[in-house]
Amino acid sequence: MTAIEQEKKTDIVEKLSSELDASVVLKTDRRLWVTIDSSKVVDTCLKAQQMGFEHLSTISAVDWLEEGRFELVYHLWSYKYNSLLSIKTKIDRNKPSISSINSIWDTYAETCERECHELFGIDFKGNSNLTPLFLEDWKGPPPFLKDFNWREYTLKELYDEENPREKAYFEVKK
Amino acid sequence: MITKKKVMRKFVRAVWVFNWFNSCGFTELCPVVGSRWDMERFGMKAVNSPRKADALFIAGYQTPKSIKRAQQIYEQMGNPKFVFALGSCTITGGMYWDSYNTIKRLEDYLPVFMYIPGCPPRPEAIYDAVFKVFEHVEELPDK
Repeated sequence: MTAIEQEKKTDIVEKLSSELDASVVLKTDRRLWVTIDSSKVVDTCLKAQQMGFEHLSTISAVDWLEEGRFELVYHLWSYKYNSLLSIKTKIDRNKPSISSINSIWDTYAETCERECHELFGIDFKGNSNLTPLFLEDWKGPPPFLKDFNWREYTLKELYDEENPREKAYFEVKK
Repeated sequence: MITKKKVMRKFVRAVWVFNWFNSCGFTELCPVVGSRWDMERFGMKAVNSPRKADALFIAGYQTPKSIKRAQQIYEQMGNPKFVFALGSCTITGGMYWDSYNTIKRLEDYLPVFMYIPGCPPRPEAIYDAVFKVFEHVEELPDK
């Protein structure tokens, strides 16, 4: 990165910090991180979009089991600044719920939220279409939770120990 | 009189195949269509509608979502119809045996005519399986 580019980046960081009312960190060349409160997520996303971060790449969730919280990360790309802004926010793990951003990114945000809802059980208020995306007829808990033992669940629900073909699977170390 | 042999001979004249391939199943079986192994020399042809097909080739791991679509395809096919299961993932879940979202017993969902094991099965194995169908028909009683 040249000196001029570096200067430009620091400009963005300052501009974003004042605009979003939170401290933006320049992580690497093209990655910006900002941590916000979960109640401000729609506001922040809207402001970021108006500043030029108009492309929602994805919404991902991280399960912090010891802390008892989910971390939601909204990845926004800007064609103007050529950089990726990651908006991070933490919500309670026992009653995970957050406002939907479908008012800003519409259908694509809805699809991302559907995925998070299906795999982590997070409720997005304002999203009317939270039907399963990949898992049809799924009866178990959300499968991406860290305290969900998928191998145990699979052996219990989908295999039969009496079946000679499937007997060997039960001897695999859990 | 319509015997089973007569019906089966209809099938054996030419095997028109409808493919239901998930994940790597498709890429691994592309050579069968290509010029090196060329399945058309045996009268096998990949068709684009299940209504024209005699045989359903299933490859790749099947999920509860995709197996429903496979069942719909099977229902649309005209008689006589045959299901060939290609590869270990399709038959038992294969390397995804401990996944919560794959099918473990294909025979619970579709009547399988022939299992072709392998990861993936070689083109020769597929021809061998189809050849066994020809043999099977010749062995059927005339009455």
